[in-house]
Amino acid sequence: MKEFRGRILVPGTVQAQAIVVDSISFYGDVDPERGVLKDSGRNIRGRILVAKKSHGSTVGSYIIYSMKVKGTAPVAIIMEKAEPIVVAGCVLADIPLVDTLSEEFFKNVEDGTLLEIKKDGKVIVHETSQ
Amino acid sequence: MYLDRRAERILNGEEGWAKAKALEVIVKVGEALGARGLIKVKHAHISGVSYSNIGDAGLRLIKSFADSGVKFSVPATVNPIGFDLENPNVFGVSNEYVKKQKEVLNSLRMMGGDLILSCTPYDLGVVQRYNLNIGDHVAWGESNAVVYANSLLGLKTNREGGPLALMAAISGYTYDYGMHIKEYRIPEIEYIVEEPKEGLNEALAGVLGEVIAGIHSLQTPPLVRVTFTKKLHLKEFFAALGTAGNIAMTYIPNFTPEPLPDNWKPRERVIVDSFILKSRLYSLRPRDPKDIDLIYAGCPHMGIEDLLELFILVKSLGKIRKKFIVSIPRILLLDRRIKEIVDELKKLGIIIVKDTCLVVSPLDIKDLRVLTNSYKAFYYLSRKGAKTYLAPIDELALTASFGG
Repeated sequence: MKEFRGRILVPGTVQAQAIVVDSISFYGDVDPERGVLKDSGRNIRGRILVAKKSHGSTVGSYIIYSMKVKGTAPVAIIMEKAEPIVVAGCVLADIPLVDTLSEEFFKNVEDGTLLEIKKDGKVIVHETSQ
Repeated sequence: MYLDRRAERILNGEEGWAKAKALEVIVKVGEALGARGLIKVKHAHISGVSYSNIGDAGLRLIKSFADSGVKFSVPATVNPIGFDLENPNVFGVSNEYVKKQKEVLNSLRMMGGDLILSCTPYDLGVVQRYNLNIGDHVAWGESNAVVYANSLLGLKTNREGGPLALMAAISGYTYDYGMHIKEYRIPEIEYIVEEPKEGLNEALAGVLGEVIAGIHSLQTPPLVRVTFTKKLHLKEFFAALGTAGNIAMTYIPNFTPEPLPDNWKPRERVIVDSFILKSRLYSLRPRDPKDIDLIYAGCPHMGIEDLLELFILVKSLGKIRKKFIVSIPRILLLDRRIKEIVDELKKLGIIIVKDTCLVVSPLDIKDLRVLTNSYKAFYYLSRKGAKTYLAPIDELALTASFGG
């Protein structure tokens, strides 16, 4: 178990498995109906999405909000640096958002890693079972 | 966060539910980002208005504001929607879709939106109509327009998410952060573009945007030393920066109106080799005109000069033998001469759509092979399941003249 500290943008307490991408454009890269990443088919619904960066369309905020309404959204998002489009989406959808995690954090997380976000912005990386 | 008296009044609901709700969200986003306060905006450009993109959740959000009877506090222009208002069926949309999209539009109209239905608010007299000047704070959605506003018009805006631009229009405020702050507008890294001997075209300009977006990781704008000979090149470069990256501004000497500080020196210089640009574009080009099912230009919406160029190209080549769609702003047709050119293009077989574009329309392009001159369209249409290729406009015209 390792602990990291981030900056809380939208607070919340949540525990779920990670899905890791390098950069995401919520508009374009995600199918909001099913909550899957179009390129790899990975499901982000109910997961903690770990994305270093975001890019692309300003419609991204609506995609995040729509996914929440449809029940296909990730339960939290962790980024290296969150930009306004993602912050706006998470504020509207009330999805916990933490950023400013260290490089070390991103090295310790891969698809399926169990993560826990605490209300104070602490992010706990649990050992994977296998 | 510091709030002026007016903002406090709005938050207390003294100007109604809608303004209070809108400003509450803006304050939350600002606080999350560590903004020092709010600032008044002079204009908003609202993205996220195509029913294809925002769905019922977005429609309900926009409608809930409009139904409260609130009017926009500042002038606000509106991005493209899912179909051509004059010809909804061109993309084969259902009646249900038309009904929902019109609800979005009517809501925006009720609040006082200026329905230009274009992603090029920088190009359509909007700047003059609303007296926007260098240094003015605005809240623009639409990633290509944001880069254009900051880099060429000297307007100050972050990459506002669609709902935030809407809420800025309603409340008249945005959060004082990022591009609104002088220090964040001063570049630190200089990119020197070694241009190919034959110069850049818009497809290479798009690839350049992709390359710089891939390297640049600072919040301050990349300074790019490059010669753009056409406005189209700038538009495609900006659109690519906003697509492949989260860049809100780029500093281009001789184009960006804000002066650099005295004795400005870059912290770092990066050379962008023309070979990188050319080889990347080569890899995105179609191998054979036969491989193309659909040709698309007008992302961002085509301007007058580009329309003229396309007309000359197509006219000289004669017949169009492939499906070729071009998206333009409706406003262009108010000019009689442009209307004539558009009619000629239609006669030659080109499908001209207004108010919409392939990126935001529900047109099913899955598994089609699409050739475009826009990196932005190339990116998003591939995410919609098309096999996409990138090439400059003359190659689009040439490909269109081939059968098969």
